[in-house]
Amino acid sequence: MNLEANSPYLVPVYAAYGVVAIGLTIWLARILFKNGAVFLQDVFKDQPQMAEAVNRLLVVGFYLFNLGYAALIMKARGATTSVEAVEVLAWKLGALLVSLGCMHFFNLYLFYRIRRRGQMAVLPPPVHPQMRLYPGPYVAHAAPEQAPANVYAAPAG
Amino acid sequence: MRRLTVLYDDRCALCVRCRDMLATSETFLPLELLPTSSNEARHRYGAVPWLGEELVVASDEGDIWVGPAAFLMCLWAMRETREWAYRLSTPALAPLAERVFAALSANRGRIAAFMQPRCEDESCDVHPAPIEHARRWTYR
Repeated sequence: MNLEANSPYLVPVYAAYGVVAIGLTIWLARILFKNGAVFLQDVFKDQPQMAEAVNRLLVVGFYLFNLGYAALIMKARGATTSVEAVEVLAWKLGALLVSLGCMHFFNLYLFYRIRRRGQMAVLPPPVHPQMRLYPGPYVAHAAPEQAPANVYAAPAG
Repeated sequence: MRRLTVLYDDRCALCVRCRDMLATSETFLPLELLPTSSNEARHRYGAVPWLGEELVVASDEGDIWVGPAAFLMCLWAMRETREWAYRLSTPALAPLAERVFAALSANRGRIAAFMQPRCEDESCDVHPAPIEHARRWTYR
């Protein structure tokens, strides 16, 4: 069976798909790299090389995942008419775009998590102390704006 | 704040297990784990009225957290659980966390006996004196 004779539009569909898939992946990876750097510089303030390394590794993962996925979903069953060819192309690009979108949001989530981890280390305690053993002003954190209404009172006796 | 002291009840197996967890996990700041029955604890923190009855956490600056707040401070100290310390101190979850911790603390002897049945006569059960006050803490 000669597949090329049955679906004369398949090769142009593949060509268009390949160009768009590779172009989109590169464009998105560049956006991710450029804007992710801002996030990561904030996280790794004291070690800019680390920020760059993490950013590069994330982008490499993004490339691998997206190009691999694009290659996997490339195979089409056939396109005998020009209308069918457009439909096949649209379907493939749609699937690719949705997966790229999911990956993109996942990456944003990763950046958020990494940043949050960095911020965690410097946050003050979530609760006020119930008492103070040594008199003196607060040193490490500011005194509460108003006295707590209902503090842990000492047990009687 | 550069350092936290955790005063735990060394008579209860559950507390000792929690101490082991604190001792082995990665923390944001150094922790000192002191049993409440030790002379050192009595000497340094004898002025804390809840010593021996409730979990007490002290900072190097003399701030004292007791009961549920102390439990949150332990969560806050560990790398893995700091996020949960903030989550559990939000107005939505704080009352629940407080009640769970109070129940755990009050029944620590029984829970320990269940985990490690060697206290059949309930000799290691601790009955803290009831504390007559609201257990509310304040939130940042």
